[in-house]
Amino acid sequence: MSEVTQDRSAAAAAPQKRKLSTKPHARADRVFFGLARSAAYGAIVLVGLILVFLLMRSAPTLAQQGPAFVTGSTWNGSATPPVLQIGPMLWGSILIAIIGVIFAVPLSIATAYFIEFMAHKRVAAVATIVVDLLAAIPSIVVGLWGLAVFTPVAAGWGEWLNKYLGFIPIFASSTGNFQGTPFTAGWIVAVMIVPIITSVSREIFSQMDRDIINASLALGGTKATSFFRVILPTASGGIVGGVLLGLGRALGETVAIYFVLNLSFDINWGQILENHGGSVASLILSKFGEATQQEIGGLMAAGLVLFIITLLVNWIAAWIVNLAQPWRR
Amino acid sequence: MSDVSSQPVLAEQPILGPLARPTVQAWEKRSAGQKLRMLSIGDGALSLGSILLSGFVLVLLASLIWSVLSLGVKAMSWQFISQNNIYITPTTSLEYGGVGHAILGTVIIVGLSTLITVPLGVLVAVYLTETREKPRGIVRTLVQAMSGLPSVVAGLFIYSALIVGLRLGYAGWLGSLALIPLMLPTVARVAEEALRLVPQDLRNGALALGAPAYRAFLMVTLPAAKSGLITAMILGIARVIGETAPLILTVNNTNGTTVDPSQPMASLPTYIFQFIANTNDTSVQRAWGAALMVLILVAILFTAARLVGRPKKAKK
Repeated sequence: MSEVTQDRSAAAAAPQKRKLSTKPHARADRVFFGLARSAAYGAIVLVGLILVFLLMRSAPTLAQQGPAFVTGSTWNGSATPPVLQIGPMLWGSILIAIIGVIFAVPLSIATAYFIEFMAHKRVAAVATIVVDLLAAIPSIVVGLWGLAVFTPVAAGWGEWLNKYLGFIPIFASSTGNFQGTPFTAGWIVAVMIVPIITSVSREIFSQMDRDIINASLALGGTKATSFFRVILPTASGGIVGGVLLGLGRALGETVAIYFVLNLSFDINWGQILENHGGSVASLILSKFGEATQQEIGGLMAAGLVLFIITLLVNWIAAWIVNLAQPWRR
Repeated sequence: MSDVSSQPVLAEQPILGPLARPTVQAWEKRSAGQKLRMLSIGDGALSLGSILLSGFVLVLLASLIWSVLSLGVKAMSWQFISQNNIYITPTTSLEYGGVGHAILGTVIIVGLSTLITVPLGVLVAVYLTETREKPRGIVRTLVQAMSGLPSVVAGLFIYSALIVGLRLGYAGWLGSLALIPLMLPTVARVAEEALRLVPQDLRNGALALGAPAYRAFLMVTLPAAKSGLITAMILGIARVIGETAPLILTVNNTNGTTVDPSQPMASLPTYIFQFIANTNDTSVQRAWGAALMVLILVAILFTAARLVGRPKKAKK
């Protein structure tokens, strides 16, 4: 009996535990968070809208052309019915992006390594600014430089490659003209994606656990072996993400490639020194001015294909980068 | 970073080298001197390669900037900055005409875009940092994925939605709209970083004093992150100021000066595009002059961003 009363009094004495909540309670707070939420969802809706509108405008063309739209290699807007196929352009975009990434990856990782592990603090700060500055240069300026200054230089490199390595099929050239090649376009793209890959790699390097590097050095590893066996494998996840971000950017590059590449529907499978190639984004830019109504539909469809590919690549890249940077969450 | 590399690691390698690879027979047979030499060759190659390759990046940038400076300066003069392009043909001498109208157009188009994108981007950043809602991961990934949106696709989107769909004419404000999806990822990302740098204790302090979340944000977090948010805006502007393709698809280029964004307008990138299409010397020089103008604007924005960002930005 006494136990029961004791229990009761204890229950009465101990204040009831209040329910703690972090939910916004005031109306103004709800408005504030509602605004933030709608902005965030707005970004999602924006991507959805792009998809919907491009799909809407390109549906008739896609239905008419069928799957040959992405595999065929004829573009004739004046035929009835028009034949609109972007195979060479699509492959060209991918080829140039791959060339660009192949050139950019060693440059970027070397620069990131230099900034993080070799340079004096002040030099590193300056180098970081230089990389950021390269990122801030608009693509039309890079394109102009590529057209007037870099193309002759790259043509010289191409000629040299062709002379000494011409027996390898990818370095073969049937014309002896080394301007307007996918090789040049790849270099231009590399210039534009080096800052992206560098900044991601640098951040991954800078946040790495110093203990494992020191452990490797203490076990008798040299700087070189530590780099190749410890630093690179540990950072590889994030670097792959950065490379994919660069690849996504390279696939969508428009004006700069338009300036330096000789666009042609004659498909170029991988002979990077032949003076013709393709790029979906540049095709859209070059055809847009004098396109017929049907051709506009084709260009919309080309834009749709480009958008879907870049969105996929970038989505995977962003996902990997976020996964490799847990300190951001 | 430098403390690792400055340690006298090499001196110990003759003794420790074999310990690291106890199973490699060939390695064991070598003398200590040989081992040291091989190891230092690897080190030297790594350092040399790193310096050479990053030097090459520097050379590329230097070549780019030097070309624009040396070729652009030939067209530069006060009238080139102030005059417009009426009555100018590709062969007109450089003493006449300029990019005044294009600078004005760029400022108006990008300015309008900034007015819409910066609040939007900051709100997205607020959503990512100040709330604990589940879809944050998706939003963050999507915004980052948007940063790779091809600029020509952004132009096609506005063209298909508004110019074909609503039968609107080419106009400056359509160009501003086309720049939004290109600018948003940069603004949102940098703003997110800025808000993340504000210590959580500041927010908690304000909340503990009884402030509603919105006042805590407006009166504590926002002032603390102010410089970072301005940096976000500046970097966003720098990202889109040279965008060409979206403007070609949505804003018709003009030769006269316009301040009305409901009309076609000129802009610096489209001016470059217009003149590089001709091969006359003066046209090409005009294009380089305009490129120099773009680069000057970018440099001003870039310097401003660094100046603003300096006092607050604590390096991690």
